[in-house]
Amino acid sequence: MNIQFKKGVLEICVLVLTTRGDRYGYELAVMISEKFELAVGSVYPLLNRLTQEGYFSTYLKESTEGPPRKYYHLTPEGWGHMRMLIAEWNSFTKAVNEIVEDGLRP
Amino acid sequence: MTKQSYMNELDRLLRNVSEEQRKEWLYDYYLHFEQAAQNGRSEEEAALELGDPRQIAGELLLGYRVEQAESSKNYRGLSRAVFATVSLGLFNLIFIIGPYVALAAVLLSLWAVAAAIAVAGLATIVDSFWVETFTKPQALSLALICWALSILLAIGLKFLTSKFYAMTLKYLKFNTRVVRGNSK
Repeated sequence: MNIQFKKGVLEICVLVLTTRGDRYGYELAVMISEKFELAVGSVYPLLNRLTQEGYFSTYLKESTEGPPRKYYHLTPEGWGHMRMLIAEWNSFTKAVNEIVEDGLRP
Repeated sequence: MTKQSYMNELDRLLRNVSEEQRKEWLYDYYLHFEQAAQNGRSEEEAALELGDPRQIAGELLLGYRVEQAESSKNYRGLSRAVFATVSLGLFNLIFIIGPYVALAAVLLSLWAVAAAIAVAGLATIVDSFWVETFTKPQALSLALICWALSILLAIGLKFLTSKFYAMTLKYLKFNTRVVRGNSK
């Protein structure tokens, strides 16, 4: 898939994946890389940026195995931002689908 | 690539970042290796799935540099932000470096003109003492005219330079959003 395209979609994915509870970075990276191919390392710069923009808050939590994990919590601003992105995504895919269907109609 | 060499490479690429910020970023990758190991993945596998450290460092630095240039108003920071954005691709090389260098050169030469006019004023006074092409009152009035011109030019240029700074930042941010594929 086109790399710019992937990056835009990646943002929606990490936001949505944290709606059902806080997640840690590795978890998010793995969940996304299972669905589509990408350099897993790109997830962390994105998480950093979204945190800086106030869409995530972070905290460290001890784990039974290994060093403390960094958890990401979706803030109210994060929820608003996610809803906006999803609305944009839906209207965008709808438009593309219409064009594709029209174009392929016999 | 082993965990150690991956972390060292990333550390080296981020050497210009403040230590606090660098440690925070590196911790994410350190944790990634730790957790990958717990899930039975080798260091090489983990390094491979993380992707090229240069790409990662580029993505980390991008937002950081633009922000730094914004918070600390200095022109070295601005140039760094420009180059961080440029490093994202050939497209940017053409669309950022070209206008940036051209505009910076024009501004610089205009500043040189302002300085030259001021020096010319000084020269007429020196001349009136040594060579006496002009009498002293003539030289003085010529010098005053020169200095007035130079000061006016400098005031105008100061305004233009800060506008240039602000515009470059704005353009970089816009460009960053485009490159990141973010429609916001």
